[in-house]
Order: sequence, then C-alpha cells, then structure tokens
Amino acid sequence: MSQARTAYYSEANLVNDSGAAGHFRRNRIFYVGGAVALAIAIALRIYQQTMSFSVGTDYYEPEFQTYWMSLLYIEVVVLSAIGIIGSVYVWFTRETDAASISPQLELSRYFKLLGVLSVIGLWAVTVAALAIESDASWHQVTIRDTDFTPTHIVIFYFAIPLLTAILIPTFIWTHTRIPAFMNRVSLPFLAVVCGIFMIMPNYGFNEWGHTFFYAEELFSAPIHYGFVVMGWSLFFLVPLAIQIIQRMAQLIAEVSKDDTAVA
Amino acid sequence: MSVELPADKITDVQRFDLSVLTRPSAQKFYKRFDGIIIFVLFAFIALGIMLQYSLTAGDWDYWVDWRDRRWWPLVTPITFMIFIGGFMYPVWRAFRLPVIATAVTTLLALSSWVSRYYNFHLFADFPMSFVFPSTYIALGILMDCVLAMTRSMIMTTIVGAFLFAGLLWPVNWPLLAAYKVPVEYNGLLLSVSDLMGYEYVRTTTPEYLRIIEESTLRTFGGSVTPLTAVFAAFASILVFALATMASSAIYNYAGRYTRRIA
Repeated sequence: MSQARTAYYSEANLVNDSGAAGHFRRNRIFYVGGAVALAIAIALRIYQQTMSFSVGTDYYEPEFQTYWMSLLYIEVVVLSAIGIIGSVYVWFTRETDAASISPQLELSRYFKLLGVLSVIGLWAVTVAALAIESDASWHQVTIRDTDFTPTHIVIFYFAIPLLTAILIPTFIWTHTRIPAFMNRVSLPFLAVVCGIFMIMPNYGFNEWGHTFFYAEELFSAPIHYGFVVMGWSLFFLVPLAIQIIQRMAQLIAEVSKDDTAVA
Repeated sequence: MSVELPADKITDVQRFDLSVLTRPSAQKFYKRFDGIIIFVLFAFIALGIMLQYSLTAGDWDYWVDWRDRRWWPLVTPITFMIFIGGFMYPVWRAFRLPVIATAVTTLLALSSWVSRYYNFHLFADFPMSFVFPSTYIALGILMDCVLAMTRSMIMTTIVGAFLFAGLLWPVNWPLLAAYKVPVEYNGLLLSVSDLMGYEYVRTTTPEYLRIIEESTLRTFGGSVTPLTAVFAAFASILVFALATMASSAIYNYAGRYTRRIA
C-alpha cells in the first residue's frame, strides 16, 4: 500500500477557517461555478427576450439563420466539448490506488461532488423558472414553422442537455475518485443520469410528432408524457443522497476523532 | 495498480454514532453538508415538479379561463400526488422530515411566479391577471401536518391526499371568484375569464383543444364543483398510494450499488 495522500485543501483545516473568506474557500466550486451558470442563464434569457420576436419568428428568413441557427451550432459544439472532453479527461486521470486515499482526501472529494451537484442544482432552478414555460408561452403567440424555434434552441439544445453534459463527467469522476463508488455502480446515480439523458432522445419523438401529426401545443398531450416519465428519475435522488451520507458520516467521525467533545 | 479496497471503505452503515455530533468540527461538517444537500435536493425538486406540472396540469394553470370546475381540480391534485408520493416516502423513512408536500408546493409557487412574470408577461405579453399561478401551499402544509401528527404514511394517504384534492377549489376560490362573475357580451352569457380567453387568442391551443367544462349533463349546475372535488380526492388517494409504493421500491431495492466489478 502506498503512502496515504491527503487533500490539497484539507477539509480538516478548511472547516476551522472561519469568516467569509473561509466560507468562500470551502464552497468555491459552488460560488465560481454558480456565478458562471447564472451569467450564462441571464445572457441567454436576455438574448431570447430580445431576439425571439424580432428575428426568430420565421425559420426561412436569413436573419433566423444568422442569429438563431448560429447560436444552435455554438451550443452543440460547447455541449459536446464539455461532455466529451470532460468525460475523457476524468477517465484518463482516474484514481489508480484507492487504498492510498486518506479519510481527509475522501471527505474532500465528497464535498467536491456536492459542490458540482449544487452548481447543477442552481442551473436546474434557472431551467425551472426561466426556461420550461417560455416554450409554452412562445407557442401560444406564434405559428409553428420549424423544429428549431428560438425557445427550443435555448431549452432543448442547451438548457437541459447542459445538465447531462455536466452530470456524465461527474458520474465518471465519482466512480473513479471516491472509494465507496469505485469498481461498482451506484444504481440511483445511474438512474438520475440516464433519466435526464433520455429526455434528449424524447426531443426527437416530440419534434417528429409535432412535425407529422400534432401541430398544436397542448402541453398535457400524450406526446409530451415521455418528458414527464424521464423527470421521475429524480425520485432516485434521495437514495443517492443516502449513499453519500452513509459514507460521509463515517468519514466525519474519522476526521474529527481527535477533536475535543463539547457538552 | 491496486484496486482493492479496505473493508472500512465499503461499509454501508445504517445507523450512526450520534456522539460524533458533540465534536465542534463534526458539527461544522454536518452544518455545511446539510446546507448543500438541502439546496441540491430542493433545486432538483423545483425542476422536477415544474417539468411534471407544466406537462400534465400546466394547461389548466396557465390561463384563468382554463381553471374550470371539472378538469383543473381533477388533473392538478393527481399530478401533485405522483410527485409528492415519489419524494415523501424516502424523506420520511430516512430523515423523518414531514416537509415534502410543503416543499413541492412552495417551490412550484416560487418557480411559477417567476416564470409567469418573465415568460408569459414580459416575453409573450399576456397580462398577469390572466396568467397568474394558482396556490397550493396551504394544501401542502395540510398534507405534511397529517403526516407529522399521525406519523403514518397510510393515514397520510387516506386523509392527507383526500384533503389535498378536496380543498383545492376552496383554497383557490378567493383568487378566482372575481373571474367567474357572469357578463353579457354580444348577447352571449360568459364569465369574465371566458371573455379574457376570447380576447387573448392562443394560436396553438385552438377552441377545439380548450378542455374545460366538457360535459353533457349541465343541469348538475352548482353541484359540479363538490362532485369533482370528492372524485378527485378519491383518485388522489389511489394515485398517492401507487406513487408511494413505487418510491418505497426505489428506496428499498434500487437505492443500492451493483455488485463489485472484478
């Protein structure tokens, strides 16, 4: 067994780092990642608000190709880069000696995982509040002439796929860095990732159906039920949280064992 | 390359040594952990309920003229029961927290108000008085209270789900009453909300897709609302029971790891 390694930012040290600076350092993934996520969300929303009805109502106009299809191509490239490069990177830099991971390092990795999940959660909140129903309102004031409407370009081809593009590398990172997950697969984590990923193939069915037999936009129509069922994969979040808690409880007890108890 | 793990790294504990909580550093770890996990869980619940609600009951909630006496009070609680049932059982079983119904309804309310303002009002120019969301928070609190007081999922299913659906109309009535006042328009008798719906044309929800007040025996008149409420209440009991059973299966059987590889 090799020498036990500890975290660069040891959680045991950071936890006693009080004040706002300490709070920021401990939660740097959430604050930095969250700021980037919020900036992207606000920028996209302003773009959508400004450009949808001015140059986004007719797919066959050259302005649509310039302002909306270009955005679509950029989104596809960015998401593919995040998903593929991120996954390949975390796989090829995977842990090779799980036994050498100290409790401090392991606990640090759990907090990193939670930090990434909190950034994804913040993005999920913006999707819930700003994205989902914008498509509903769009379809009520326009006529459908293409699958690539401005709201679809924002929601279907960026907002929801971004969840997957971050979750897949996170899934691989977790299963190659955290001992409790290594060499086996967390079923609830897999279900969450697969469920959110499967929303994307459902776009295909949705657009195919709207193109061929359902031009209207009744949101409760059966053509949309696939989205709902895939959303049920979130029910696996609590079992995933419990898997994380079980090991973290052990680690916290281990890391804090030299601490003096208070009454 | 070593892939073998010490036994202490793969132990899945079910009970924790609470004496750890007397240590100051452990308290800080748990405080930080609680803040993150609650945020993550609630954030995804907000996304999930918004996705589910929009695509099942959303049509009835987007517009004030769609909030009728037949479909809206039936579809809405059934939708909620699926989602609340999916989260209430594991959170109660693992953490003994009777908060999920309140959390789901409150998170939906917050998301919906932001969404209706930015998406329906600012983006598509519908007036807020036509697209404001309904309120369900009181129903969520009521359901959680039943769980907290009885500490029984069975009683919550029978009493909580029943009350959630049965009281949906009375809770929302103060918001909707002004829109149900009858008006005469070009010789036709309409409600104020019908008139608003007539004025604001919705291009991809034409009249033949306006699923409200579909019926043959209109002579039932005012008894329609309580009749729908009672039917919705019993339907909600069934749906909540099924959702709870599904979530218990997920919690007990799918919340695991696969066998160790290699």
